[in-house]
Amino acid sequence: MKLAVFVSDYRMTVDTLDRLSPEKMGIILVQNGVYHATLKENGTPSSILNKSAEFYALKEDLETRGLDTSMVDSKVKVITLGELVDLMFNDYEKTAWI
Amino acid sequence: MGKLTIGCFASLVGSLNLDFAVKLSAAAIEKGHTVDLWVSGNGTMLSIKDQRPFKDYSHLEKPLKELMAKGLTVTACEACAEARGYNKDVTMEGFKRHSMDWYLASTFDADRVLHIGGE
Amino acid sequence: MATTKLGFIVQRPPYKSENPKLALTHAIATQSVEVYLNEGDMVTADIAFIGDGVLNCKKDQKAMDYYGLTSTDQHIKMALLVDINIWVCKEDLEKFGLSEDDLVLDAEEFGADMTVNVVPYSEISKKMEEMNHLLFF
Repeated sequence: MKLAVFVSDYRMTVDTLDRLSPEKMGIILVQNGVYHATLKENGTPSSILNKSAEFYALKEDLETRGLDTSMVDSKVKVITLGELVDLMFNDYEKTAWI
Repeated sequence: MGKLTIGCFASLVGSLNLDFAVKLSAAAIEKGHTVDLWVSGNGTMLSIKDQRPFKDYSHLEKPLKELMAKGLTVTACEACAEARGYNKDVTMEGFKRHSMDWYLASTFDADRVLHIGGE
Repeated sequence: MATTKLGFIVQRPPYKSENPKLALTHAIATQSVEVYLNEGDMVTADIAFIGDGVLNCKKDQKAMDYYGLTSTDQHIKMALLVDINIWVCKEDLEKFGLSEDDLVLDAEEFGADMTVNVVPYSEISKKMEEMNHLLFF
């Protein structure tokens, strides 16, 4: 399964993401999920970025929160909504908004 | 080109989930895809007409009408809307109202489904 | 003739948000989905309760007595009545100190043949692979 997982929160109230193990996973950081791409709490990047996945962060949600793309972890690709649509249709079969 | 079905259960004001759903719909339509948008639960707030565009609250009537003109199908869960007093008289023109089976039927031939739960 | 399989994954506890109830009511709506489809075409919805979501399956809920609301266990019974597959994650139940005895497992009183299945997460994971689309609640 090729699964695009949308993460829209910084503090997660469910542990579902930790339990998903698709053959291919894309983690799409949107809304407050984009903080995973930029914050380093006590100097440590978000543990989400340690997962075996491709990472994307939505440009407009970064900029909405005053986060410059230069602050984004090198593992994360910054994308537009149009690029997100292409990802959903071309690179992944199913989605999960958790 | 494909078909995207989006379900959104979050309210109009607060989480920006409906804003995201509408923006994603716009981006998909721009790319030539067909989009069905289903709102249920608190998401049915989107269906109310004459939203006054204050700058402190999400207001999506204008972009929604533009997207409907470009082919977006947007449907509200009728029971969820009625339970909140959003009856037919206050429903935006072009906004459909159906029972929950409509959403499921929309997924039948959808290439992708994005279900955005409630808050 | 084709079938689209939906997997509803309920990961949140009852009553604090509408998510679990809407998962059940939408799943139950599969019984009338055919009115929108060509003859022979179908949409099915199977439900898995994982994480805190397993708390929805506790039996003897009394939301009707205290809030005048249909309780989640009653919705689960209705789902069984319309032949929806329901899986509950065994490990999550055990984490909360719950066992099958604590759950709504059937709807015999309504004549339902289906029963709730308590299974390891690995089985739910396998089921998710089989689905055409996943909807997380």
